[in-house]
Amino acid sequence: MTQETRPSILKCEDLGVSYGAVPAVGRLDFDIRKGEFVAILGPSGCGKSSMLNVISGLRAPTRGRVHVKDQELFTPASKPPRLGYVFQSHRLLPWRTVRQNLEIALAASEVPRRDWEARIDEILSILHIAQFKDAWPMRLSGGQRQRVSIARALLVDPAYILMDEPLSTLDEVTARSLRQELTGICQRTDATVVFVTHSIREAVYLADRILILTRGPAEIFEDYTVPLERPRDYDDARISEVEADIVRRVQAPWGLSVEKEKAVA
Amino acid sequence: MPEMTLKSPPLPRGLLARSVDLGTSRISAAAVALISILIIWHAGSIVFRPWIPTIPSTFVEMGYDLTSRAFWGDFALTMGRVLAAFAAASIAGAVIGVLIGLNEKAEAFFQPLLALALAVPDPVYIIFAILAVGTGELAGFIALTVAVAPFVTNIVRSNVHARDTDLDEMAQVYHLPRGVRLAAVLFPQLVPAFLTAMRFSFALSWKLVVVVEALGQPDGIGAAIFNSFRLLRMREVAATAIIFIIAMQLLERGVLGRVEKKFLRWRD
Ligand SMILES: Nc1ncnc2c1ncn2[C@@H]1O[C@H](COP(=O)(O)OP(=O)(O)O)[C@@H](O)[C@H]1O
Ligand SMILES: [Mg+2]
Repeated sequence: MTQETRPSILKCEDLGVSYGAVPAVGRLDFDIRKGEFVAILGPSGCGKSSMLNVISGLRAPTRGRVHVKDQELFTPASKPPRLGYVFQSHRLLPWRTVRQNLEIALAASEVPRRDWEARIDEILSILHIAQFKDAWPMRLSGGQRQRVSIARALLVDPAYILMDEPLSTLDEVTARSLRQELTGICQRTDATVVFVTHSIREAVYLADRILILTRGPAEIFEDYTVPLERPRDYDDARISEVEADIVRRVQAPWGLSVEKEKAVA
Repeated sequence: MPEMTLKSPPLPRGLLARSVDLGTSRISAAAVALISILIIWHAGSIVFRPWIPTIPSTFVEMGYDLTSRAFWGDFALTMGRVLAAFAAASIAGAVIGVLIGLNEKAEAFFQPLLALALAVPDPVYIIFAILAVGTGELAGFIALTVAVAPFVTNIVRSNVHARDTDLDEMAQVYHLPRGVRLAAVLFPQLVPAFLTAMRFSFALSWKLVVVVEALGQPDGIGAAIFNSFRLLRMREVAATAIIFIIAMQLLERGVLGRVEKKFLRWRD
């Protein structure tokens, strides 16, 4: 199946968010389909988190509509969407072990209890943290905690998974390995992912499609399909080429300064 | 976002070693304090003879108390009153504290009441309760609960306000039911506050129970102390008070310390 023929999972029409009279999201229209990995790329403060708050069901938009599958959100009849969310920080309950943190999310999902154990074991071993099943989150490193957070998002049979700069607080070595695994896992599980980042290279490496936003209040500057097959290599020259191409495009609208060293005469 | 204690890193080794040193120095400081008290007491018993009893005679009296049935009867009665008042004040205070911490309307309603309740001196509650319902068990119970609960409410409320709202969002995104949000997300954040409130509540309770008994009860440790005082048996006053204070201290440290360890074990 090509992307276009796959069913729509998340569709926003004329979406706008304001805080009081101050607009944070200008106008967003997009449609995300089953199994897609879509990066949302924009400078910080442009309204990415505000947008995620809406498509996670946490906050109603000031304007516009959100559809999850064939249901419209924020109507009196609508149920909140079933989703996974990987926040910038792990947001695990420190007083619950890894397993208990996963179970508390599972208990609120539709996954039958008899499947929990096997699912938890599977996801933890995929993410290489099986040995921490009964550990307190405080005992884990930042990267391991974020792995648990990713496990939690994948476990609950989500319609889609939101990630808000989930690697930005990790050191580069940890971020690299997690970034690499993330692509593999998302392919394998056919997860639909909306991945917010301000790193152009990260977006190019991870995504099928990049929604490039303008400076805030965010509008879609360009719906960019990444012209690279998988698997990809983070250090590959072609990633750099695509990155450079995007940098050229956003330079003016983002007001990027050009980071070239001037040759000293 | 409040960082709280949740993300505090484990103590480095040097710090641990220092805290052990601190432990021993604390013990020696306590010893110095104890010896100082005994010296002052001894001097006092010479200067203010016979109103301050001598140390040896007080210890002998404590020996009598500890082997007397009457003492233990009073002790049990007082203990029961302390625990009842403590439990009622802790529960009522915590429930109201959580409620007004989460609900702005409830807070607007309770805020002036709370300010007033914290400002009223404890004897006023005791006197009013005795006037209202007589000198029975109920008067003491009501006075104590009303005197202690506001402190608990205040501590719990401010900690509900200081909770990690990032976790509230997480709970909402993952559809955790209301009960789970309270029990698994909010309450664990309040454990340190509950413990502080309970320590405070317990200490206040036992001191007030003794006052209530002295003022309005025929029995209990407070009444025993008051009776001895009326008969000018200062040795008995001192002996009873000392035993009771030590018992309350042991209880507070032993029981609450153990509760603390159990509920905060995820921290280490
Ligand atoms: N709760 C809020 N109240 C008022 N303004 C907000 C709030 N949250 C975000 N903003 C503002 O909205 C804009 C977009 O913020 P945000 O969505 O966090 O951007 P991003 O995630 O892209 O960095 C910023 O100017 C920010 O200051
Ligand atoms: Mg953000």
